[in-house]
Amino acid sequence: MNTFVDLYSTTSATAQLRRAQKITEEENEEFSDGSWGSQAGFGTIVKGGPSFMVPNVPDPTSFLRLHTDDHADPSCRIKIQHGTTTLAFRFQGGVIVAVDSRATAGSYIASGTVKKVIEINPYLLGTMAGGAADCQYWETYLGMHCRLHELRNRERISVSAASKYLSNLVYSYKGMGLSMGTMICGWDKTGPAVFYVDSDGTRMKGDLFSVGSGSTFAYGVLDQGYRWDLTDEEAQELGRRSIYAAGHRDAFSGNTCNLYHVKENGWQFVGNYDIAKMHYEGNGTGAGPYGYEPRITGEN
Amino acid sequence: MPGSMVAMTQPVQQSFNPYTENGGTILAIAGSDFSVIAGDTRQSEGYSIQTRYAPKVFRLTDKAVLAVNGFAADGNMFVKKVKQRLEWYRHAHAKDMPIRAIARLIQTMLYARRFFPYYVYNILGGIEEDGTGAVYSFDPVGSYERETCRAAGAAQSLVQPFLDNQIYFKNQTPAAGTQFPQHLPLTSVLPLVIDSFTSATERHIEVGDGLEIYVVVASGSTSLQGLQNLRGVQEVTGTTDGERVFVIRRELKKD
Amino acid sequence: MSIMSHNGGSVIAMVGKDCVAIASDLRLGNEAMGISSNFQRIFPVSDRIYLGLPGLATDVATLREKFRFRVNMYTIKEEREIKPETFAHLVSSTLYEHRFGPYFIEPVMAGISKTPTGGVKPFIAATDLIGCLNFAKDFVVAGTASDKLYGVAEGLWEPDLEPEDLFETISQTLLNAVDRDAFSGWGALVHVITKDKVITRTLKGRMD
Repeated sequence: MNTFVDLYSTTSATAQLRRAQKITEEENEEFSDGSWGSQAGFGTIVKGGPSFMVPNVPDPTSFLRLHTDDHADPSCRIKIQHGTTTLAFRFQGGVIVAVDSRATAGSYIASGTVKKVIEINPYLLGTMAGGAADCQYWETYLGMHCRLHELRNRERISVSAASKYLSNLVYSYKGMGLSMGTMICGWDKTGPAVFYVDSDGTRMKGDLFSVGSGSTFAYGVLDQGYRWDLTDEEAQELGRRSIYAAGHRDAFSGNTCNLYHVKENGWQFVGNYDIAKMHYEGNGTGAGPYGYEPRITGEN
Repeated sequence: MPGSMVAMTQPVQQSFNPYTENGGTILAIAGSDFSVIAGDTRQSEGYSIQTRYAPKVFRLTDKAVLAVNGFAADGNMFVKKVKQRLEWYRHAHAKDMPIRAIARLIQTMLYARRFFPYYVYNILGGIEEDGTGAVYSFDPVGSYERETCRAAGAAQSLVQPFLDNQIYFKNQTPAAGTQFPQHLPLTSVLPLVIDSFTSATERHIEVGDGLEIYVVVASGSTSLQGLQNLRGVQEVTGTTDGERVFVIRRELKKD
Repeated sequence: MSIMSHNGGSVIAMVGKDCVAIASDLRLGNEAMGISSNFQRIFPVSDRIYLGLPGLATDVATLREKFRFRVNMYTIKEEREIKPETFAHLVSSTLYEHRFGPYFIEPVMAGISKTPTGGVKPFIAATDLIGCLNFAKDFVVAGTASDKLYGVAEGLWEPDLEPEDLFETISQTLLNAVDRDAFSGWGALVHVITKDKVITRTLKGRMD
């Protein structure tokens, strides 16, 4: 691992970690003024960004991978939650964002009530796939910077700029083990917008995305029913139906569907729908159940 | 010896492993105007018991109690640092930090160690500023969520589905014309907590020895009656401005 | 990924007052993807013995036929129905024959036997994948949701439950346990075996 190039390179992950390590060493016992006040630890924002403690080993990245990656080693101790279905699409009436609410650790369903849509501000939504903490933390952080942008420029940040801010941010940590696949959704001067951003540094503008272990199932329904001129109701139903399909077939997705609709004057929360209820009873509009199986009788 | 020559020429990779799993289980349930935070007191490493009394639940303020589970050394250090930050807050603002702010503080403290995590699962229980019972649960790197009920640790997979059934009434249908209660009274919650731990003790080797149940009660709550004359109850309230904190200690099987 | 959780599925058996119950989920998956919500993994061995086979689906089919063959041979040779205790040992020895290349199944069985005095004796047992028998007096569990089943059963089960109460207990245990397991669920099936009849019911469960 410690090759000559690696040792002297300034852009490699190891070099960046070494730099981060130097910063943490300097600040180790010293707390910023933010620690005293009510900035909840985000007080470091005045210094240009948060700092992280890094283990004092030759290769911190592989140290982290050794202890946290549950795909390589299922017996490792720190389990980072995986498995999800999230989707977002752009259409005539704005943006639909729909997600499931399941978090799994191995085969255990750790939670069925996860909020996978992160409300960055009244005009921006982010979705959560991959590391729950990575998404929650960095999208909250993004929200703070969006507010600073508003104060500095007297206008709201565009979805494009916000997503690029996040993309550049996670790219600066590339190779260090962050895991996030997110869609930044909103409405700005250009109209409705969806950007896909992930921890590899990918950033794409698009009309329609789905991310997570159940995304293939969601795409199946989504591609089938997608049109630009969908009505609001049709679009919301398509989002719901796609998440249901993924929740049904994918073991790591399910429990409930959270649905948001972004319009010109900001996002609105449409509802929380139980996937089991959708299977047996449908969405409550009387359109019939989503489940295809013959109804089976029985009691609890 | 030729054998030892071979051993000397082969390089041996030593990896740095600062983590251990110390067993145990924690659990918290929020009521309408109270919160119950419980944990067993066994601390183990592998098949050996290190001690039969190592507290996992800590009073932070009169409205917040923190339960930590996972690697005991990290857990104890983490609680120490949270308490330090809360004291600084008290000095700066002359009041206790509200629980939703403590929750966010814990997130940033955990995430600051994103690349060298504290191996701890935290559950924070207490009373919100509006007087309702609250439970916040965290993963080791700081993702968190407010919930009504959460079990974590070695026996979380044994306890949580039981709680789903008994607290959230999952898979149960209310009798015609009736509804399940949103929040259970303290008199129903305490026996469920004790049953959860006796069950976990029965089927999990890392759970047992003792049980500590913290109860945080909002000021003027009706849950106070019946709590004070409970067996083995002890009040640990620090101030006189409202919320009150109690500990109930019970024995669990030691085998 | 463990081969024991490749297809998913769980089984539980419980003892009641002069009755036993055995229940399983109905999911058959290919790792994370659900394939069937109507996969039978509990089979009748005789009128009063049921056998549950959680584990690898291909071995469910193989073992089911193997046990049918061996029980038939036993019945013909002995000219009597096999007793639950005897059947448990048959299961155990069959699995141990493959000690070093086992079937990936952890069988659970439930039955009732008649005592010489005319009474009935409930019987449950489970083995690991190489046939180590566990004769429990309360309940036995196996499959991908086994730890969850242990927890709920330990909290809900009580001695001497009547058939209807036993049905309620085993159903609640199974449904709530599989709802916390990613690889089990997709509906459930319960059998309650009493002295003179077997009550079989299909349960509606969460389909996610």
